[in-house]
Amino acid sequence: MAKKLFALLAAVLLGGTAFAQGPVTIGVNLELSGRFATIGNATLQGIEVAREQMSDALGQEVELSICDNQTTPEGSINCAARFVDEGVIGVLGPISSTMAIAAANPLEEAGVIMISTSSTNPATTQIGEHIFRMAYTDDFQGKVAARYAADDLEAERAVVFRQQDDDYSFGLAGFFAEEFESLGGETITLDFVSNTVDFSAQINDARGFDADVIYYSGFCAEGASLMPQLRQQGFNQQILGADASDDSQCPVGGGEAFDGYILTGFGGADVLSGDAAARAEDFAAFFDVVYPDAADFNGFTLAGADSYNVMVQAVNNAGSADPDAVLDALQNLEGYPGVSGDITYAGTDGTPADRTIAFFQYSVPGADGSEWTKSSLFGIGTGQ
Amino acid sequence: MAAITTTAGRRAIPWGWIFGLGIPALVLARIYYLVNVVEVRDYAFFIGAMVQSLQLGSLYALIALGYTMVYGIIRLINFAHGEVFMVGAFISYFLFSGAPFALPWALLWSAVLAWGVAFILNLWRGSMTHPTVIAGGLVAFAALTFLLSTFQVNWVAALLLSMLFTGVLGVVIDRVAYRPLRGAPRISLLITAIAVSFLLQNTGLIVFTRNQTPFRPETDWTAFLQFDVLGGTVYTSRLMFLIPILTAVLVTALTLFVTRTRLGKAMRASAQDAETAQMMGINVNRVIATTFLLGSMLAAAGGFLWGLNFGSLNQPAVMGILPGIKAFAAAVIGGIGSLPGAVIGGLLLGFLENFMTALFPRQGDFPGLTEFKDTFAFALLIVVLLVRPSGIVGEDLSEKV
Repeated sequence: MAKKLFALLAAVLLGGTAFAQGPVTIGVNLELSGRFATIGNATLQGIEVAREQMSDALGQEVELSICDNQTTPEGSINCAARFVDEGVIGVLGPISSTMAIAAANPLEEAGVIMISTSSTNPATTQIGEHIFRMAYTDDFQGKVAARYAADDLEAERAVVFRQQDDDYSFGLAGFFAEEFESLGGETITLDFVSNTVDFSAQINDARGFDADVIYYSGFCAEGASLMPQLRQQGFNQQILGADASDDSQCPVGGGEAFDGYILTGFGGADVLSGDAAARAEDFAAFFDVVYPDAADFNGFTLAGADSYNVMVQAVNNAGSADPDAVLDALQNLEGYPGVSGDITYAGTDGTPADRTIAFFQYSVPGADGSEWTKSSLFGIGTGQ
Repeated sequence: MAAITTTAGRRAIPWGWIFGLGIPALVLARIYYLVNVVEVRDYAFFIGAMVQSLQLGSLYALIALGYTMVYGIIRLINFAHGEVFMVGAFISYFLFSGAPFALPWALLWSAVLAWGVAFILNLWRGSMTHPTVIAGGLVAFAALTFLLSTFQVNWVAALLLSMLFTGVLGVVIDRVAYRPLRGAPRISLLITAIAVSFLLQNTGLIVFTRNQTPFRPETDWTAFLQFDVLGGTVYTSRLMFLIPILTAVLVTALTLFVTRTRLGKAMRASAQDAETAQMMGINVNRVIATTFLLGSMLAAAGGFLWGLNFGSLNQPAVMGILPGIKAFAAAVIGGIGSLPGAVIGGLLLGFLENFMTALFPRQGDFPGLTEFKDTFAFALLIVVLLVRPSGIVGEDLSEKV
């Protein structure tokens, strides 16, 4: 506490000019180890490639202060405290809602800007004015998935698998079920906790229900166990997942059980249109040069890159590294040409106004002889 | 004996018969009710649950045997046993998948295990500097480094080699962590066991992986299997044969070893009274090392089959914890220190976990017992400790655990 007070005092005494002297430092709070490590590293690579493309703000080099929250809320809070001490200009990440909500509270209190790259739980940005996100929210994601299940798949009965101890999964499952029921369908929600490997009890519960679609709102760590067990137990229905399944751990870990698996995720070059598609393609090409052997290039990579881009853009728009000015610039950001589409924070709660969600499908084994491939089906904008 | 004489005057209540027949009768009645009255399940579903119970119960039994053997001989609850199970699973994974095992770590593991091999040989040769011992250690070091860093084997070899390595690891753990504390209070030993458990968890995180790991060796045994029976379909896989049969083979081999060989006889003698056994010329350290070797080998087999059964391994820090304490509960429920007790306890736990959730499914507003799945083992443990602290087949415990 004393440390925080001191930092605050120092900031007040030295004023905005103190920040402008040294390099501009941006904190990066990501899940680089633990359950979401593959997603965290994809995001970090996105941020680093974006920095390669635009390494200066206010004529000074941008430095990244990278903190691994180990996929734990405590780790995330520790990272936040570290960034408050370091006096960073803003924080990028975390990716998951559980860690993002944990870090958002101390950062909001200390008045540090945070842009969660892919937290989709609506609660994240409602914590305060300093908290932004790069993704859409789960009420949108759950809705489009439910509409897809009801209209395109013509499903009437859905089994929803929900990870009880995760904010993202819990919220998303609720939005899906709500919309699916309002479209005239019936759902049951089956709960599990993180690190479950034996899903026999949940699957037995699902058996009596006679579902025609399965919605999975969890992550790949558990999904890689669940899907093969579902297939073994005779469930051949279409399985729908969400952006947490946009992770190589899913098709690699679950194997052929993921063949035909459809998921909603952050839209890339395939589903964007016009200039945005061209920018996404350029970015993908540049990414390939920097990380030719990357395990993943997915929506998280794009979200990471754009979080960095808008952060630097806001500093440049503000013309100084003064936190209030940067916050003001970010809140008034309009139509920034990002690699994941145009980004507008003006008039929102910190969720970009127009995002494009895409439907993807896994093929295992992949079409071109590879282990697996992911193809995009179509995209839907949040405006629609 | 004292207990029998005091109750001789009263008519003993045949609790064994009441539970042995009453519970199956209740289960059958509930199944009949679910199938024929409310019609939410069919008989095939319960046959499927039976198959699953047998698979899961076999796995618990394999792990529980390690707890019970070690407890029988040195009265130690070996809390590191769940982590030994985890190591066994991961070693077999690295052997069959050909996944890269970084050379420095392969060298380190090989050094530790080669030392274990030398130590085991030394128990028979009498000295660490005996040529056979040194040669054995060196050969083990070279072979292990080669196997771990580059070689890829089929699943049978992976299972056998992993059992061997993990067995040696068990002996190393005993030599390094438990043997220096032979005369120390039991609580020191217990705390040491917990420390070893944390050490293995974190080593696993660094050496093996930090992520959930797919576990799919190239074998036909995991192929799905469906058959129609009693007007329904049972969904299972060929593992329904492999896991119980392999478990039965291993348990039979262990029983034969303990009852028919000289070393087995020495084990039983040491379990009864280690000091007297030592006075009769039995090398108790050798016996204890054998116990750890066998217990850890069974745990490794359990770990391999666990991976096969669920198709993936949890990250090392958490993988061994829940199976470990559940198997420990199984050992206590069966009667800790007793080999048949561990098998019975393990199977009972497998049946309990599957049938409690199968018998009380989600019905209308009743959410079912699915979310309580992991608690049944411990609920039963509490009941057994209250009603019959020595376990189902255990002898009277004079000491508290």
